[in-house]
Amino acid sequence: MKEYLLLMFTSALVNNVILGRFLGLCPTMGVTTRLDAAVGMGMATTFVMTVAALAGWTINTLLLEPFGLGYLRTITFILIIASTVQFTEMVVRKVSPSLFQLLGIYLPLITTNCAVLGVALLLVADKMSFISSVLFALGSALGFSLVLVMFAGLRERLALMDVPRLFAGPPIGFIVVSLLALAFMGFSGMGAS
Amino acid sequence: MGESAYSATDYSAPAMMEGIAQVVAVEGDMVWLVPEQGSSCGSCASASACGSRGIGTTASRLDKRRFRIDNGANLAVGERVVFGIRENVLLKASITAYAIPLTTMLLAGALAQWKYGSDPVTMAATVAGLAIGLGISRVLAGRLQTRGDLAPLFLRRARPGETCNS
Repeated sequence: MKEYLLLMFTSALVNNVILGRFLGLCPTMGVTTRLDAAVGMGMATTFVMTVAALAGWTINTLLLEPFGLGYLRTITFILIIASTVQFTEMVVRKVSPSLFQLLGIYLPLITTNCAVLGVALLLVADKMSFISSVLFALGSALGFSLVLVMFAGLRERLALMDVPRLFAGPPIGFIVVSLLALAFMGFSGMGAS
Repeated sequence: MGESAYSATDYSAPAMMEGIAQVVAVEGDMVWLVPEQGSSCGSCASASACGSRGIGTTASRLDKRRFRIDNGANLAVGERVVFGIRENVLLKASITAYAIPLTTMLLAGALAQWKYGSDPVTMAATVAGLAIGLGISRVLAGRLQTRGDLAPLFLRRARPGETCNS
Protein backbone atom coordinates (compact mmCIF):
# COMPACT_ATOMS: atom_id res chain seq x y z
CA MET A 1 0.00 0.00 0.00
CA LYS A 2 2.79 2.38 1.02
CA GLU A 3 4.59 1.55 -2.21
CA TYR A 4 1.55 2.53 -4.28
CA LEU A 5 1.04 5.80 -2.37
CA LEU A 6 4.70 6.70 -2.86
CA LEU A 7 4.43 5.88 -6.55
CA MET A 8 1.47 8.25 -6.93
CA PHE A 9 3.11 10.98 -4.85
CA THR A 10 6.33 10.73 -6.84
CA SER A 11 4.60 10.77 -10.22
CA ALA A 12 2.36 13.70 -9.23
CA LEU A 13 4.85 15.99 -7.53
CA VAL A 14 8.49 14.87 -7.68
CA ASN A 15 8.49 13.90 -11.38
CA ASN A 16 5.61 16.14 -12.38
CA VAL A 17 4.97 15.69 -16.11
CA ILE A 18 4.92 19.42 -16.82
CA LEU A 19 7.42 20.87 -14.36
CA GLY A 20 9.72 17.86 -13.97
CA ARG A 21 9.62 16.20 -17.39
CA PHE A 22 8.57 19.24 -19.45
CA LEU A 23 5.84 17.36 -21.29
CA GLY A 24 2.44 18.82 -22.20
CA LEU A 25 3.58 22.43 -22.38
CA CYS A 26 1.10 23.22 -25.21
CA PRO A 27 -2.05 22.79 -23.08
CA THR A 28 -0.22 24.43 -20.18
CA MET A 29 0.11 27.65 -22.15
CA GLY A 30 -3.00 27.26 -24.31
CA VAL A 31 -5.78 26.23 -21.94
CA THR A 32 -4.82 28.09 -18.79
CA THR A 33 -6.16 31.51 -19.63
CA ARG A 34 -9.31 30.65 -17.64
CA LEU A 35 -9.60 28.57 -14.50
CA ASP A 36 -12.76 26.75 -15.63
CA ALA A 37 -11.09 25.69 -18.90
CA ALA A 38 -8.09 24.39 -16.93
CA VAL A 39 -10.36 22.32 -14.66
CA GLY A 40 -12.21 20.84 -17.66
CA MET A 41 -8.99 20.05 -19.49
CA GLY A 42 -7.36 18.62 -16.35
CA MET A 43 -10.24 16.25 -15.62
CA ALA A 44 -10.49 15.10 -19.25
CA THR A 45 -6.73 14.50 -19.42
CA THR A 46 -6.80 12.56 -16.13
CA PHE A 47 -9.46 10.24 -17.51
CA VAL A 48 -7.80 9.73 -20.89
CA MET A 49 -4.29 9.32 -19.47
CA THR A 50 -5.42 6.63 -17.02
CA VAL A 51 -7.51 4.70 -19.55
CA ALA A 52 -4.75 4.99 -22.19
CA ALA A 53 -2.23 3.61 -19.67
CA LEU A 54 -4.55 0.69 -18.95
CA ALA A 55 -4.98 -0.04 -22.67
CA GLY A 56 -1.30 0.55 -23.44
CA TRP A 57 -0.09 -1.84 -20.74
CA THR A 58 -2.55 -4.50 -21.92
CA ILE A 59 -1.58 -4.28 -25.60
CA ASN A 60 2.12 -4.14 -24.79
CA THR A 61 2.00 -7.15 -22.45
CA LEU A 62 -0.34 -9.34 -24.47
CA LEU A 63 0.68 -8.43 -28.00
CA LEU A 64 3.86 -6.43 -28.52
CA GLU A 65 6.22 -8.20 -26.11
CA PRO A 66 5.21 -11.85 -26.77
CA PHE A 67 5.52 -11.36 -30.55
CA GLY A 68 8.71 -9.28 -30.44
CA LEU A 69 7.00 -6.19 -31.85
CA GLY A 70 8.59 -3.69 -29.48
CA TYR A 71 9.72 -1.52 -32.41
CA LEU A 72 6.04 -0.74 -33.08
CA ARG A 73 5.46 0.54 -29.55
CA THR A 74 5.43 4.29 -30.22
CA ILE A 75 3.09 4.12 -33.21
CA THR A 76 0.84 1.62 -31.42
CA PHE A 77 0.56 3.90 -28.40
CA ILE A 78 -0.29 6.88 -30.61
CA LEU A 79 -3.09 4.78 -32.09
CA ILE A 80 -4.23 3.70 -28.61
CA ILE A 81 -4.35 7.31 -27.39
CA ALA A 82 -6.31 8.47 -30.44
CA SER A 83 -8.71 5.54 -30.00
CA THR A 84 -9.10 6.27 -26.28
CA VAL A 85 -9.97 9.90 -27.02
CA GLN A 86 -12.51 8.81 -29.63
CA PHE A 87 -13.95 6.23 -27.23
CA THR A 88 -14.22 8.80 -24.43
CA GLU A 89 -15.88 11.28 -26.75
CA MET A 90 -18.40 8.69 -27.92
CA VAL A 91 -19.13 7.53 -24.39
CA VAL A 92 -19.58 11.05 -22.98
CA ARG A 93 -21.87 11.87 -25.90
CA LYS A 94 -23.89 8.71 -25.33
CA VAL A 95 -24.00 9.11 -21.55
CA SER A 96 -25.23 12.68 -21.76
CA PRO A 97 -25.43 15.01 -24.78
CA SER A 98 -25.51 17.96 -22.34
CA LEU A 99 -22.21 16.87 -20.78
CA PHE A 100 -20.77 16.50 -24.26
CA GLN A 101 -21.77 20.07 -25.08
CA LEU A 102 -19.92 21.29 -22.00
CA LEU A 103 -16.87 19.03 -22.02
CA GLY A 104 -16.47 17.77 -25.60
CA ILE A 105 -14.37 20.73 -26.64
CA TYR A 106 -11.39 19.60 -24.54
CA LEU A 107 -11.21 16.01 -25.74
CA PRO A 108 -9.77 16.41 -29.27
CA LEU A 109 -6.97 18.57 -27.87
CA ILE A 110 -5.76 15.63 -25.76
CA THR A 111 -4.94 13.53 -28.84
CA THR A 112 -1.90 15.70 -29.49
CA ASN A 113 -0.87 16.02 -25.84
CA CYS A 114 2.63 14.56 -25.62
CA ALA A 115 2.26 14.03 -21.85
CA VAL A 116 -0.23 11.21 -22.48
CA LEU A 117 2.17 9.42 -24.85
CA GLY A 118 5.13 10.15 -22.59
CA VAL A 119 3.46 8.58 -19.55
CA ALA A 120 2.37 5.49 -21.54
CA LEU A 121 5.94 4.98 -22.79
CA LEU A 122 7.49 5.59 -19.37
CA LEU A 123 5.40 2.99 -17.57
CA VAL A 124 6.33 0.36 -20.18
CA ALA A 125 10.01 1.31 -20.01
CA ASP A 126 9.93 0.90 -16.23
CA LYS A 127 8.32 -2.58 -16.59
CA MET A 128 5.58 -1.80 -14.07
CA SER A 129 2.83 -4.19 -13.02
CA PHE A 130 -0.73 -3.50 -14.17
CA ILE A 131 -1.93 -1.78 -11.01
CA SER A 132 1.31 0.20 -10.68
CA SER A 133 0.91 1.38 -14.29
CA VAL A 134 -2.63 2.60 -13.67
CA LEU A 135 -1.64 4.37 -10.43
CA PHE A 136 1.46 5.90 -12.06
CA ALA A 137 -0.71 7.26 -14.89
CA LEU A 138 -3.32 8.53 -12.44
CA GLY A 139 -0.66 10.23 -10.27
CA SER A 140 0.95 11.83 -13.33
CA ALA A 141 -2.45 13.03 -14.55
CA LEU A 142 -3.34 14.48 -11.15
CA GLY A 143 0.01 16.29 -11.08
CA PHE A 144 -0.68 17.59 -14.59
CA SER A 145 -4.14 18.85 -13.54
CA LEU A 146 -2.75 20.42 -10.37
CA VAL A 147 -0.23 22.46 -12.36
CA LEU A 148 -2.88 23.48 -14.93
CA VAL A 149 -5.19 24.74 -12.19
CA MET A 150 -2.41 26.50 -10.26
CA PHE A 151 -1.09 28.14 -13.40
CA ALA A 152 -4.59 29.17 -14.55
CA GLY A 153 -5.20 30.82 -11.16
CA LEU A 154 -1.89 32.66 -11.44
CA ARG A 155 -2.63 33.78 -15.00
CA GLU A 156 -6.06 35.10 -14.01
CA ARG A 157 -4.30 37.27 -11.45
CA LEU A 158 -1.52 38.18 -13.87
CA ALA A 159 -4.16 39.48 -16.29
CA LEU A 160 -5.01 42.16 -13.71
CA MET A 161 -1.40 43.12 -13.05
CA ASP A 162 0.53 45.98 -14.56
CA VAL A 163 3.09 43.91 -16.51
CA PRO A 164 5.64 45.75 -18.72
CA ARG A 165 4.64 45.45 -22.40
CA LEU A 166 7.78 43.51 -23.24
CA PHE A 167 6.74 40.72 -20.86
CA ALA A 168 2.96 40.82 -21.27
CA GLY A 169 1.22 37.61 -22.37
CA PRO A 170 3.20 34.39 -22.99
CA PRO A 171 6.62 35.74 -21.83
CA ILE A 172 5.44 36.41 -18.28
CA GLY A 173 3.59 33.08 -18.46
CA PHE A 174 6.83 31.22 -19.20
CA ILE A 175 8.61 33.08 -16.39
CA VAL A 176 5.87 32.04 -13.97
CA VAL A 177 6.04 28.41 -15.17
CA SER A 178 9.80 28.39 -14.62
CA LEU A 179 9.32 29.74 -11.09
CA LEU A 180 6.72 27.03 -10.45
CA ALA A 181 9.22 24.44 -11.75
CA LEU A 182 11.81 25.75 -9.31
CA ALA A 183 9.28 25.47 -6.49
CA PHE A 184 8.45 21.88 -7.50
CA MET A 185 12.15 21.00 -7.40
CA GLY A 186 11.70 21.23 -3.64
CA PHE A 187 9.84 17.92 -3.78
CA SER A 188 12.79 16.11 -5.36
CA GLY A 189 14.32 15.25 -2.02
CA MET A 190 11.10 13.60 -0.89
CA GLY A 191 10.81 10.74 -3.43
CA ALA A 192 11.26 7.09 -2.54
CA SER A 193 14.68 5.94 -3.67
CA MET B 1 -0.04 47.61 -7.35
CA GLY B 2 -1.33 44.29 -6.06
CA GLU B 3 -3.90 45.99 -3.80
CA SER B 4 -5.50 47.95 -6.63
CA ALA B 5 -5.61 44.86 -8.83
CA TYR B 6 -7.45 42.84 -6.22
CA SER B 7 -9.93 45.61 -5.53
CA ALA B 8 -10.77 45.71 -9.25
CA THR B 9 -12.23 42.21 -9.07
CA ASP B 10 -15.85 42.04 -8.01
CA TYR B 11 -16.08 38.74 -6.17
CA SER B 12 -19.74 39.33 -5.31
CA ALA B 13 -20.73 39.12 -8.99
CA PRO B 14 -22.48 35.88 -10.01
CA ALA B 15 -19.86 33.43 -11.31
CA MET B 16 -20.72 32.78 -14.93
CA MET B 17 -18.67 31.43 -17.81
CA GLU B 18 -19.56 33.19 -21.04
CA GLY B 19 -19.39 31.97 -24.61
CA ILE B 20 -20.53 33.15 -28.01
CA ALA B 21 -22.81 31.11 -30.24
CA GLN B 22 -24.60 31.57 -33.53
CA VAL B 23 -28.28 30.87 -34.10
CA VAL B 24 -28.59 28.14 -36.74
CA ALA B 25 -32.29 27.27 -36.54
CA VAL B 26 -35.53 28.47 -34.97
CA GLU B 27 -38.11 25.88 -33.90
CA GLY B 28 -41.22 27.40 -32.37
CA ASP B 29 -40.23 29.11 -29.14
CA MET B 30 -36.80 27.45 -29.08
CA VAL B 31 -33.59 28.27 -30.98
CA TRP B 32 -30.67 26.01 -31.90
CA LEU B 33 -27.22 27.47 -31.34
CA VAL B 34 -23.73 26.38 -32.39
CA PRO B 35 -20.91 27.63 -30.15
CA GLU B 36 -18.05 29.54 -31.73
CA GLN B 37 -14.53 28.22 -31.35
CA GLY B 38 -12.96 28.60 -27.92
CA SER B 39 -9.86 30.36 -26.76
CA SER B 40 -7.11 27.81 -27.34
CA CYS B 41 -7.11 26.66 -30.98
CA GLY B 42 -8.79 29.70 -32.47
CA SER B 43 -6.32 32.18 -31.08
CA CYS B 44 -3.24 30.12 -31.89
CA ALA B 45 -0.84 31.96 -34.20
CA SER B 46 -0.68 28.97 -36.54
CA ALA B 47 -4.41 28.23 -36.51
CA SER B 48 -4.79 28.90 -40.21
CA ALA B 49 -2.02 26.47 -41.11
CA CYS B 50 -2.78 23.80 -38.52
CA GLY B 51 -3.56 20.42 -40.08
CA SER B 52 -5.39 19.20 -37.00
CA ARG B 53 -8.34 21.50 -37.67
CA GLY B 54 -9.66 19.34 -40.47
CA ILE B 55 -9.35 15.91 -38.92
CA GLY B 56 -11.94 15.95 -36.25
CA THR B 57 -10.71 18.49 -33.76
CA THR B 58 -12.40 21.57 -32.39
CA ALA B 59 -13.42 23.35 -35.56
CA SER B 60 -15.01 20.45 -37.37
CA ARG B 61 -16.89 19.23 -34.30
CA LEU B 62 -18.60 22.37 -33.17
CA ASP B 63 -21.74 21.47 -35.11
CA LYS B 64 -22.11 18.33 -32.98
CA ARG B 65 -22.20 20.56 -29.89
CA ARG B 66 -25.31 22.49 -30.96
CA PHE B 67 -27.72 23.19 -28.14
CA ARG B 68 -31.20 24.62 -27.60
CA ILE B 69 -32.40 27.55 -25.51
CA ASP B 70 -35.71 29.39 -25.10
CA ASN B 71 -36.26 32.09 -27.69
CA GLY B 72 -37.54 34.74 -25.32
CA ALA B 73 -35.50 37.43 -27.09
CA ASN B 74 -36.94 36.75 -30.59
CA LEU B 75 -33.62 35.66 -32.07
CA ALA B 76 -33.29 35.04 -35.81
CA VAL B 77 -31.08 32.65 -37.77
CA GLY B 78 -27.55 34.03 -38.19
CA GLU B 79 -27.61 36.22 -35.07
CA ARG B 80 -24.72 35.90 -32.62
CA VAL B 81 -25.51 35.72 -28.93
CA VAL B 82 -23.61 35.59 -25.66
CA PHE B 83 -24.68 32.64 -23.53
CA GLY B 84 -23.64 31.80 -20.01
CA ILE B 85 -23.06 28.68 -17.96
CA ARG B 86 -22.78 28.81 -14.20
CA GLU B 87 -19.15 28.25 -13.24
CA ASN B 88 -19.80 25.32 -10.91
CA VAL B 89 -21.65 23.50 -13.71
CA LEU B 90 -18.39 22.63 -15.49
CA LEU B 91 -17.00 21.16 -12.29
CA LYS B 92 -20.19 19.17 -11.69
CA ALA B 93 -20.15 17.97 -15.30
CA SER B 94 -16.46 16.98 -15.11
CA ILE B 95 -17.02 15.05 -11.89
CA THR B 96 -20.03 13.27 -13.36
CA ALA B 97 -18.39 12.40 -16.66
CA TYR B 98 -14.83 11.60 -15.57
CA ALA B 99 -14.30 11.37 -11.80
CA ILE B 100 -17.05 8.84 -11.09
CA PRO B 101 -16.03 6.27 -13.76
CA LEU B 102 -12.37 6.74 -12.80
CA THR B 103 -13.12 6.18 -9.11
CA THR B 104 -15.17 3.00 -9.66
CA MET B 105 -12.51 1.73 -12.09
CA LEU B 106 -9.71 2.22 -9.57
CA LEU B 107 -11.74 0.84 -6.67
CA ALA B 108 -12.58 -2.32 -8.62
CA GLY B 109 -8.94 -2.70 -9.72
CA ALA B 110 -7.56 -2.14 -6.21
CA LEU B 111 -10.06 -4.59 -4.72
CA ALA B 112 -9.21 -7.28 -7.28
CA GLN B 113 -5.48 -6.75 -6.78
CA TRP B 114 -5.84 -7.02 -3.01
CA LYS B 115 -8.09 -10.10 -3.22
CA TYR B 116 -6.42 -12.08 -6.04
CA GLY B 117 -3.08 -10.37 -6.75
CA SER B 118 -3.20 -11.35 -10.41
CA ASP B 119 -2.80 -8.95 -13.33
CA PRO B 120 -5.45 -10.53 -15.66
CA VAL B 121 -8.08 -10.53 -12.90
CA THR B 122 -7.20 -6.93 -11.95
CA MET B 123 -7.46 -5.95 -15.62
CA ALA B 124 -10.91 -7.52 -15.99
CA ALA B 125 -12.12 -5.94 -12.72
CA THR B 126 -10.83 -2.53 -13.82
CA VAL B 127 -12.74 -2.70 -17.10
CA ALA B 128 -15.88 -3.86 -15.26
CA GLY B 129 -15.46 -1.00 -12.76
CA LEU B 130 -15.19 1.46 -15.65
CA ALA B 131 -18.41 0.13 -17.21
CA ILE B 132 -20.25 0.38 -13.86
CA GLY B 133 -18.95 3.92 -13.35
CA LEU B 134 -20.18 4.97 -16.79
CA GLY B 135 -23.60 3.55 -15.93
CA ILE B 136 -23.70 5.59 -12.70
CA SER B 137 -22.57 8.67 -14.67
CA ARG B 138 -25.43 8.20 -17.08
CA VAL B 139 -27.99 8.13 -14.26
CA LEU B 140 -26.50 11.19 -12.52
CA ALA B 141 -26.18 13.14 -15.78
CA GLY B 142 -29.86 12.41 -16.47
CA ARG B 143 -30.78 13.84 -13.06
CA LEU B 144 -28.67 16.97 -13.62
CA GLN B 145 -30.30 17.48 -16.99
CA THR B 146 -33.81 17.01 -15.58
CA ARG B 147 -33.11 19.63 -12.94
CA GLY B 148 -31.85 21.97 -15.66
CA ASP B 149 -28.42 22.31 -14.00
CA LEU B 150 -26.56 21.85 -17.28
CA ALA B 151 -28.62 24.24 -19.38
CA PRO B 152 -26.89 27.29 -20.88
CA LEU B 153 -28.60 30.67 -20.34
CA PHE B 154 -29.14 33.46 -22.86
CA LEU B 155 -27.41 36.62 -21.61
CA ARG B 156 -27.48 39.14 -24.48
CA ARG B 157 -26.89 39.65 -28.20
CA ALA B 158 -23.17 39.74 -29.10
CA ARG B 159 -21.72 43.07 -30.19
CA PRO B 160 -20.38 43.28 -33.78
CA GLY B 161 -16.86 41.85 -33.85
CA GLU B 162 -17.10 40.51 -30.29
CA THR B 163 -15.25 37.21 -29.80
CA CYS B 164 -14.67 34.78 -26.95
CA ASN B 165 -11.25 36.34 -26.44
CA SER B 166 -12.35 39.97 -26.45
